[in-house]
Amino acid sequence: MTAVQYVSFDQLAPALDYVKDRTERFRFIAGGTDLVVQMRSGKTTAESLVDISRVGELRGIHEAKDCVIIGALSTIEDIRRSPLVERRFPALKEAADVFAAWQVRNLATLGGNVCNASPAADTALPLLVYRAKLIAFLGIHQREIPIEGFFRGPGKTCLEAGELVGQIILPMEASGGSAFLKLGKRQASILAVVNVAAYVGTKGGVVTEARLALGSVAPTPVRASKAEEFLVGKPAVDKNFTQAAALVDEDIKPITDVRAGAKYRVRMAKTLAFRALRLASARARRSSA
Amino acid sequence: MSRTVLEHEEEEANRLLNQWLHGNDFVVVGKSVARVDGLDKVLGKLKYMEDYFSKDMLFARIVKSEVSSAYLEKVDFTKAATIQGFVDGITAKDVTGQNQVGYFLLDQPAFADGVIRFRGEPVGLALAKTPEAAEEASRLVRLEHREKAAVFDPLEAIKSSVLVHEERKSNVAFTTKVRKGDAEKGFQESDVVVENTYRTGYQDHAPIEPEGAIAIPTPEGITVISCNQHPAFAQMIVARVLGCQQREVRTVQSAMGGSFGGKGEIGPTLSAQAAVAAHKLKKPVMLMYSREDSIASRPKREPSIIRYRTGATSDGRLKAIEADITLESGAYVTAGPIILLRATLHASGPYIVPHARVDGRLVYTNKVSIGAFRGFGNPEIHLAAESNLDELALKIAMDPVEIRLKNALTEGSATVTSQVLSDPVGLIETTKKVAKESGWYTKRKAYGKAVGDRARGIGVACAWHGVSTSGNAPDWSSGYIIIRNDGSVDSYSGLVEMGQGLTTTITQVVAEALGIEAGMVTVHMGTSDAPDAGATHASRGASVGTMGMLVAASQLRRRLDRMASKMLGCPEDQVVIRRGFAFHRRFKERKILWGDLVHECYNSGVELSATGYYFVPKERFDEEKGSGFAYPAFSYMTVVVEVEVDLKTGMVFVKRVWPGLAAGTIINPSVVVGQVRGAVIQGLGYALMEEVQTQNGKVLNQNFTDYLIPTVRDTPRIMKLVTVEEPWKDGPFGAKGMGELSLVAIAPAIANAVRHATGMRPKEFPLTPERVSNLLNEGETS
Repeated sequence: MTAVQYVSFDQLAPALDYVKDRTERFRFIAGGTDLVVQMRSGKTTAESLVDISRVGELRGIHEAKDCVIIGALSTIEDIRRSPLVERRFPALKEAADVFAAWQVRNLATLGGNVCNASPAADTALPLLVYRAKLIAFLGIHQREIPIEGFFRGPGKTCLEAGELVGQIILPMEASGGSAFLKLGKRQASILAVVNVAAYVGTKGGVVTEARLALGSVAPTPVRASKAEEFLVGKPAVDKNFTQAAALVDEDIKPITDVRAGAKYRVRMAKTLAFRALRLASARARRSSA
Repeated sequence: MSRTVLEHEEEEANRLLNQWLHGNDFVVVGKSVARVDGLDKVLGKLKYMEDYFSKDMLFARIVKSEVSSAYLEKVDFTKAATIQGFVDGITAKDVTGQNQVGYFLLDQPAFADGVIRFRGEPVGLALAKTPEAAEEASRLVRLEHREKAAVFDPLEAIKSSVLVHEERKSNVAFTTKVRKGDAEKGFQESDVVVENTYRTGYQDHAPIEPEGAIAIPTPEGITVISCNQHPAFAQMIVARVLGCQQREVRTVQSAMGGSFGGKGEIGPTLSAQAAVAAHKLKKPVMLMYSREDSIASRPKREPSIIRYRTGATSDGRLKAIEADITLESGAYVTAGPIILLRATLHASGPYIVPHARVDGRLVYTNKVSIGAFRGFGNPEIHLAAESNLDELALKIAMDPVEIRLKNALTEGSATVTSQVLSDPVGLIETTKKVAKESGWYTKRKAYGKAVGDRARGIGVACAWHGVSTSGNAPDWSSGYIIIRNDGSVDSYSGLVEMGQGLTTTITQVVAEALGIEAGMVTVHMGTSDAPDAGATHASRGASVGTMGMLVAASQLRRRLDRMASKMLGCPEDQVVIRRGFAFHRRFKERKILWGDLVHECYNSGVELSATGYYFVPKERFDEEKGSGFAYPAFSYMTVVVEVEVDLKTGMVFVKRVWPGLAAGTIINPSVVVGQVRGAVIQGLGYALMEEVQTQNGKVLNQNFTDYLIPTVRDTPRIMKLVTVEEPWKDGPFGAKGMGELSLVAIAPAIANAVRHATGMRPKEFPLTPERVSNLLNEGETS
């Protein structure tokens, strides 16, 4: 790991101002649980690090009128321990539960996990099915990015140089149910072979809304739109979940790597999609009952 | 002293040894004495390798080859030299002695010289003033080489004209065999025969502390602080590579963050590598392997391909076994030949088999080497033997526990090598106890059916593991004890503490033998300054490795008994020394304090220091015939494992483990339980997830993100250890070894439980969810 320049801020505006005129290669750093590892291995190079981990205004989980606003610097452990998240966005809580290990969860931030843009990112999937919006800052400008179009490839996002995700907004859901499932090669502290989040809304036993997102099966976390379309208007029964799950291969494109083979990943994407849809649907019934 | 007096003293000491062997009223032995290093560990006070780093030292990183096979022409440090803080580069040219660190054969250089045989092989060191600069510089070293053909598959390598070592005629580095009776006849007489081929992979030791060594030039020569498993061997290797005498080299150990056999070969290699640099630069040098260095470059558990055939009568009596064992050695053999030999000598499992034919071969490939790892050839051969035994039982509808009880070795049985077991075995009793504790018979009937996507299974496996080195390899130990004139005791042993608790065990042995509390004794280990007790390997540390120390203690105890008899005015055989008091066996009112007894010895010309030596009696193994004496004794284990399998994902959840052990006297129950628990988890890793993956010789998973070891969430409930204790004459107070054995049966028991749960026989390991899922989707039962 090469020696780097380091500067730290405890407020957002000066940090944004500082990076405006940088000519060297710089990176924002928060928890560093991805970045430091990548720098040590030589996968990422940066000449300077801009530490925003102490920017208090970007940490915290707040309930607003029709949404919940999560500061991007909230740690995964913050998410995990938030009763609000547990009540309103259980799939995000479940993703935080199986995210790395305790020490990492204490450092890693939600914004960092999203911006690192790993195809396997655990929290990206619940954010996809909850249709999160990212509030990004660039200098004095601010914009809202729907998470759908945010990921562009492994480690790639639509952010511009110097742009920073400051908040993640989760719109309040109606009475639907949601779930997150992860398969790895051991029970904890593991990168996913396949991970899945699902949101299912039902009315009178019929699916009114279905959202399904899968990880580790494409260059980015993906929505399985064919499966979603299939389910809407159909009875929320196992047979339909099986058929919907079978359609996920239209939207995924897994590779073979050190963690698993592509064929196995396709099979597991279907298995986990089925289980997640079924679980989300059962929860939807429970919450509407 | 005249010779006869010495002989008399030895005889008397032997009488004592015998008394202790059959004693049952011990004060310290058999008790869970707290670990002597426990508090310091908890408080973070123990000094591990990195804790010895100081700023006046130069720091070194290895320069690794980035090709699998090549002729090395030049190691160019020009670019590395531009790094601020860079000091020097070390290569084979700087070796002043023999560039040779081979363990069993002289086939391995300290630094590659002329030929590169695997990707990750050390070709030199980059030295700098800081660890960061050394790391950076090591990456900038340029190697000039001509590509040379490589061979990566062991089965191909057997026939290939591409030779890993061109000076040898073949890639087959070593062969072994066992013959008993007439295997063909045995199979003809069998009603059922099962044949399968099993494959296992590289397992990394994954010690939490990677490898390291510090070499410090001294006026006498050189002192090396390192982590290894045999200080005298490290001393010999360093002397060989420097080209000096052994007396000029002193080796000492830092506290060790795990070894599991792995630092036995690499520890001395690092010691020599660091010593070459320190010797050249006349400065202290610290060499540390990074985790990536460690996984890419250091020897691992051997990948195996084992074709195994088992024959039995319809009532479940074993008639014959045939095993064809191919172990992949990688670029160098290290301990490979004796790993192969151990697998060969244990090929039957702990059963009576009238006919056997076992052939083993160790094969070079252009990949990272194999080396000693807890179990030493036994985990893979037991996977094959125990899996086949279960398949056989299924074919004749016999319960797996019953078929084991029916064929188990007992005292007086002839083993697969025709060695007659002269000591108690205890396997049948252990197996019965474990079956009872686990509720075996009920669960075996209840499980094995799918409930939704899940199925439960229960499996059993037995194992045996020979204590001491294999076959004809001589085995001895020595120890030195001095009772100071204040009554406190220093004892010195060349054995090594690597986390297993041996310091505490030896403390107990010395304290019990002298008749004092454990708190009076300090055991100094891990240095070439201490008498050579042999290597701390082969499950011999707490067993034959401690016998020399016990002999020393028995000599001192004799002298103390004699002095006490004078002071008490009673016959020597009526003297008792216990908990620091000497008294008459029957008239206990008059007690002499330990301190007074020691003083009296000092004042009246009785020497209170002694060296003890023990040479293990062995018979002969006939390598030509493939039969004879294999080990002075064996330890035995039975394990029952309960699993749950996700039939869709293939994920195996190990729920509960019932271990049972017959390993002679247990000196410290909590140390033994600690070993068993660690072995269950490490064995689980071997069975389910630990696998160094390679592609064209390149290690793909060089860090703990992708080289997976079990977490606490993967750890099953490990139930109370069941033991059968029968003393063994060549171990202190009757102790055999168990550190390796306790790992051996875990993977086979898990495999058998997975078979019970799913109805499919796993043959390729580790059982990752993907492999199990593939097995359930495409596989067939045998």
